[in-house]
Amino acid sequence: MRIDRTHRGWFIGSVVAIGVATAIYVPYALRTPRPSGGSAIGLIYGSVGFGFMIFAGLLGLRKKFPVWRIGRAQTWMRAHLWLGFLSYPLILLHGAFHFGGPLTQVMMWIFTLVFVSGILGAAIQHFMPRVHTAQLPMETIYEQIDHVREQLAMEAGRLVDSACDALDGELSRASVGQLAAAASAGTDWDVTVADGLGFNEDASRQLRDFFLSETLPYLDKVGARDMALADPLRAKGMFQQLRILLPAALHSTIADLETICEEKRQLDQQRRYHLVLHGWLLVHIPLSYAVLLLGAVHAVMALKY
Amino acid sequence: MQRIRTTKERARRIDLMYFARPHWLRRWRFWLSCAIPLAALGWLCTMHAQGGQRVFSAGPLSRSHAVFTKQCALCHLRQAGYFQNVADKACLSCHDAPVHQASQSFTPTCISCHIEHKGSLQLTATADSVCTQCHADLHSREDSLHVAHSISGFSEDHPEFAGLREGSRDPGGIKLNHYLHMQSLLGPNHTRVRLGCEDCHRSPGRDKGAWSYAGVQLQPASSTRDMAGVRSSHDASYMAPPKFVENCAACHLLDFDKRFAEEQVPHDKPEVVHAFLEKRFAEYIATHPGEVHEAVRFDRQIPERPALVRMARDAREWVGFRVEETEDLLWRKTCKECHTLTAAAGPLPEIAKSKITARWMPRAEFRHDSHRMMTCESCHTKVTSSHETPDVLLPSITTCQECHRAQGPTKEFAEGRCFECHQYHNWRNEQRVNGTYDLRQLRGE
Repeated sequence: MRIDRTHRGWFIGSVVAIGVATAIYVPYALRTPRPSGGSAIGLIYGSVGFGFMIFAGLLGLRKKFPVWRIGRAQTWMRAHLWLGFLSYPLILLHGAFHFGGPLTQVMMWIFTLVFVSGILGAAIQHFMPRVHTAQLPMETIYEQIDHVREQLAMEAGRLVDSACDALDGELSRASVGQLAAAASAGTDWDVTVADGLGFNEDASRQLRDFFLSETLPYLDKVGARDMALADPLRAKGMFQQLRILLPAALHSTIADLETICEEKRQLDQQRRYHLVLHGWLLVHIPLSYAVLLLGAVHAVMALKY
Repeated sequence: MQRIRTTKERARRIDLMYFARPHWLRRWRFWLSCAIPLAALGWLCTMHAQGGQRVFSAGPLSRSHAVFTKQCALCHLRQAGYFQNVADKACLSCHDAPVHQASQSFTPTCISCHIEHKGSLQLTATADSVCTQCHADLHSREDSLHVAHSISGFSEDHPEFAGLREGSRDPGGIKLNHYLHMQSLLGPNHTRVRLGCEDCHRSPGRDKGAWSYAGVQLQPASSTRDMAGVRSSHDASYMAPPKFVENCAACHLLDFDKRFAEEQVPHDKPEVVHAFLEKRFAEYIATHPGEVHEAVRFDRQIPERPALVRMARDAREWVGFRVEETEDLLWRKTCKECHTLTAAAGPLPEIAKSKITARWMPRAEFRHDSHRMMTCESCHTKVTSSHETPDVLLPSITTCQECHRAQGPTKEFAEGRCFECHQYHNWRNEQRVNGTYDLRQLRGE
């Protein structure tokens, strides 16, 4: 989610909330011998902070049931971002900037990881979509990437077969005399019919070779960063070379192959971006559940004693 | 052949069943979301099984209670319901905590001053705020207060020490000129001596070193607890009041008659001295009966006394004359040099009590040995210029404030919070606590 003007109210509210919490905390800390979470003010900070944490955790439930009419998903997301952000300073104030005993220490370190991963995730989700849009005009649905990649390989195969078949067709229609002349022809630039026939046979073979040795393996392999076609500059050079070697009739096929390879490159890039865009959730979400669980245990035990 | 990108062609690219096959990221997220909280719960259970309730501790205990780390219930007494803090009852089962002042209008709970679960901090190192919650605007159940009404901190508005306030004087009954005693003087055996502070002022707990000029061993004096009735475990805290035998006798001789060479009268009450003199002169005349009828000039060393010649009729009268003459010398010159003597109803004078102040600040504690790196004169600046006994030579609060500030050790100053000098509990009223736990209970076995 982009943090744009629609977040202004949440931002101002959060700043005010932190300001108020600090304004209450400072005189309390100066007046109290050693402020702790067990004092009345400490308990208020702890309760509000834990409440925010629980609310932030409810986002997962809200996403599971998108049809529930309990506010817009965007509003929930904004609330998750800002209340989750607020919960950390409130919990720090609750513990008077001490991590306490074994349980609370573990909890606070996990919470710190959750907080940091959340901030990182928010930053990634703010900046990455722009990069995504600018660099990946051929993006598709992430889950479709493998399916699309297979289709690209098939499409490239069809294109090459079709082009080569056309050349082979011309060759099969040539007379015996023409084929003999072609066989005896030199490498002179004075192109004769015989030369043309020989040229077509060679071009067809070269195109198939290129497809089988370079294009198809690249399209078949996920990622394939080690292959020549994965590098746009090298790919451009290779296709340029192919255009020089092959007759003009094949140039449109070469251009299509180049486009297919470019699309494959973008799909690979999309896969990588997707990992960055969503990989942090592998840390953020499981640890959030852990901290909520430990927080609940801490709340019960701390209130009891 | 050109690539065909018709709508139908594009639509065919979509696998309509993709949602039925969750991506590996989603799968991992799900399994991690189950595994990590379960691992956290497992850790909690393991810790609980191994260390009892220690895992739920709000923080490490102070050093004095660290041994009970696994025994939460010793302090957190089992009570029904929630929001049960440690009650005073739990503290009082091991400690006696005498009240601060009988007239105090408010008695805080133990845990409001002694904060636990904050690591190896001294529990007595309380914040100033716990003191100033009353002392910043002090009210008493009694009408009059004997202490300042408003104190916010040592560095702010702490009043000057009581002994130095206007009109205060040293109540000591011994005449002493500090200035004179610190000059070059005629000492024992006609030697020149220059006294230092430590020649007369030593703490009772200090090693018994020889007095520099006479080889007189310093004897241990009473402990600080005895001195002022205020608890102090540090024998080296206060200076013991100087004693005549230890600190004065080498120079201030109490010889009384040339017949007894260097023998001296006891440094005691006039009655004891009188009895001693009668006994010694009686013994003398018994061994020298020929001297009874010798005329003795009553001149001695007192100029205003007329030089009478008196002759005794018998030994008893002779003893009476000699005792009278000797006491005249003692009461009017020797003793008077240091003591104030007043006429009493009987024949013997009364000697004012010495009243040497052992503790100038009875409501505060001070440790001389903690300040041993400094010279005495650097704090007691007026000593070398004091000529009069009533001069109070206690350092001013401003001297203390040069090093001690309420901000404490973290701010490049020495500790200056209230507890550094003051005790909340009146330990004079401390009662013995009878133990209630046995060793196994404490060890949690």
